[in-house]
Formats: sequence, structure tokens, C-alpha cells
Amino acid sequence: MNIVDLSLRLTLLDMVLRPVGDRTVRPLTLAFAALGLLIPGQLRSKFIWLPLAFLTGLRVFLDWPLPDNHAYLLFYWCLAVTIALFSRDSERCLAFNGKTLIGLAFAFALLWKAFLSGDFMDGRFFSITMLTDPRFEAFTGSVLSLDDYEMDSLTLFVEQHIDGELPARGLDIPILPSRLHLVSEILTYWTVLIEGAVAILFLIPSMAAVSRLRDVSLILFCVTTYSVATVEGFGWLLIAMGVSQSGERSKSIRYLYVAAFLLILVYSYLPMFR
Amino acid sequence: MIKHLCSKACLRCIPVLLLTVVALTQLYLAHSYGLSPWSGGGFGMFSTSDAPRRRHVHAYSISPGVRREIVIPDYLRDTALRAAALPTETYLTRLAAELSKIPSPEHGAACSIIIQVWKTEYDPAALIPSGSVVRSLEVPLEGN
Repeated sequence: MNIVDLSLRLTLLDMVLRPVGDRTVRPLTLAFAALGLLIPGQLRSKFIWLPLAFLTGLRVFLDWPLPDNHAYLLFYWCLAVTIALFSRDSERCLAFNGKTLIGLAFAFALLWKAFLSGDFMDGRFFSITMLTDPRFEAFTGSVLSLDDYEMDSLTLFVEQHIDGELPARGLDIPILPSRLHLVSEILTYWTVLIEGAVAILFLIPSMAAVSRLRDVSLILFCVTTYSVATVEGFGWLLIAMGVSQSGERSKSIRYLYVAAFLLILVYSYLPMFR
Repeated sequence: MIKHLCSKACLRCIPVLLLTVVALTQLYLAHSYGLSPWSGGGFGMFSTSDAPRRRHVHAYSISPGVRREIVIPDYLRDTALRAAALPTETYLTRLAAELSKIPSPEHGAACSIIIQVWKTEYDPAALIPSGSVVRSLEVPLEGN
């Protein structure tokens, strides 16, 4: 399959598997994505992608400033696909946008994590997230080996409603498991390393040697990140965008992208990853 | 004609330019107006525990001699969440205006409503939480 077709198909599949938007936008995005996938010859139809670009943009506009990063990136990508379909050289236009959008998204993510956030590099963010975010529940349970009571008391402690400071005396501070700090540090440094690698490799000019590393770094990011944080929609979108810039010649990379897409799908259904 | 326009580099770059402009605007709003790094399209999600849903909002009705906390009803949850994510005067005033419509138990109308947006921070070693005000605004009510 041609890389443009594969990229578009994976994008539509992402929107069918995890429909986006509220009660007004969601049925329409789902319908257009399903039509593009199911009706022969409609995969590259402007009548599918123009409404999808409009609807994903409308969703960001209506929900602003609350939408997830994923929502913005999906809008930019649908817009890029629409522009590419009107263009004379769709493949080149899509590859440029796929490569640059991924590079910039990761560069801004790295800027926030490594330089602007006050609680990421010291591991606090992952410690708190592992204890409170339901998307990390399965991972936290498996690496910290805590019983329900210990886990609940830690979660309640960090989630308590505080206005100002807790009283210094008589405070019952739970003992943090030693592994929590270690795992948080590993996650922190791995995240910065892999996101930094993706940002740099996708933003530097194309060269044959770099191109292969670029795809491998993105696939590695997806298969490691989405085994811990179950945000499948974002992972699938990155894979669809990654495919667009992977080049026609390297079939093996295309298979790896598809395998990563399926692996994230498997993650979302296996209880140990949920 | 459209094909010709779309082949031009400038049109090809629209998604990339949009991403850059939105992300830079988000940086500015986070720095100047207390926008949560998770919000606004700047790719700051999963970079800090200061997410909009981890912030909380307090509202107080002020009338002569009385300061009473208003419980924010469920139907204003979305308005309150937007105010928590981006505590600008516009969003805080919008929430105050909605809250002023709730009947108060005091005699006479309230003079103003105070909206406070709080965030939770954590001690680096023991993860002890503490709350600090991101923004507080007193909104005078018309006719008082």
C-alpha cells in the first residue's frame, strides 16, 4: 500500500476507534471517518477530509482552552491532509507536515518538561501521577507491589483538598515506597531522552541515515509510552503521521509502524495494561 | 486554481504555522495569565501536576458584614473548570455572574463575589501537598 493511503487509513481508523468531540461533533467525525474507510475510492476524497478538518477544528474552538494536546494535533493533521489532497504533490506535502508537526510537538513537549515545569525533572510529576492518575493504575500496581490499603492511603494523602499549608504538628505522613522514587526517576529520564531524540531527529534536515533513526525513535516512543499511559488515540495519531514521512522505499519500517499501531490496540484491551 | 495555490509552500506550511502560533500563545498565557500548562495546545500535558482538574475553585458571596462560601453547583462545573484552567478576568467574571443568579440565604443582595483559583503543589521529598492561590478576583455585582 502507498504511504499516503496507509497514513490516511490509519488516521481514519484512529478516529473510528476513539471518536473525538462532544455530542454534536462526535457523531459527525465518526460518520465521515467511517465513510472514508468503508466506501471504495473515498479514502482520498476532499469531501471526507475537508469536513473532518472543519469538525476537528470546531471541536478545539468550542472546547478552548480545555482540549487535550491530541485534539490540536488531530486538527492540524486533518488540515494538512486536506491541503495535501488539493496539492499537486500530495505525498511530499503530507510528508513535510507529518515530519515537521511531530518534530515541533515533541520540541514544545520537551521545552515544558525539561525547562519550564517546576516539578518534572525531580521526579515529582511521575510520583504524583502514578498515585493518582487512573491511566497509570495498572502500571503503578505492577511496579510498586502495594496492597489496596497502602495504595489508597497514599492516594488519599496526595489528593486531599488543601488551602494553604498542612499543619506541621500531628501530621500523619505516609511512608513512600522506596521504589516509587526510583521508578519516577527512570520514567522522567526516559521520557526526556526519547522525546528529545524524536524532536531532534524529526526537525533536522532529511538524510538517509537519520531517516531510519527517526522512524525507530518514534516507534520506540509509541510502544514504550502507551504501554504505561493508556492514551491510545494520541499514539495512533503519531503513528499515522509517522508513516506519511517514512518514505516509499522502506517497507520494513511501514510494517513496524503497523505493528506498533496493533500493539497499542492490544495494550488497550489487555487488563495488565489497562 | 486551488491546486496551484495549494502547491505553493506558504499554503503547505499553514498547519505548521498554526501549531507554532498556538503553542507560543499558550506559553505566553501560561506565563502571564496562569493558564495551566496542560491546556491551550502548547504540548505541556504530562509535564507538571498542575492540571486544570487538579486545581480547585472557591467562590464567596460578600454582603455587608457577611462572607459566605458558595458551593459551585454541578451545572456550572464546566464554567468553573474553564476558570480554573485559564483564570482570566473574563472567565472569572463569567463564573461570578452565573453564581450571582443563585438565590442567597442572606437578606438583601450580595455586593460582590470573590472567585479564587487554587493549585496544589507537592514537597519534593515527602510529597506533602500544599495549596496556593493562582488568582483571586472580586467581582462587584451590578445594582449594589
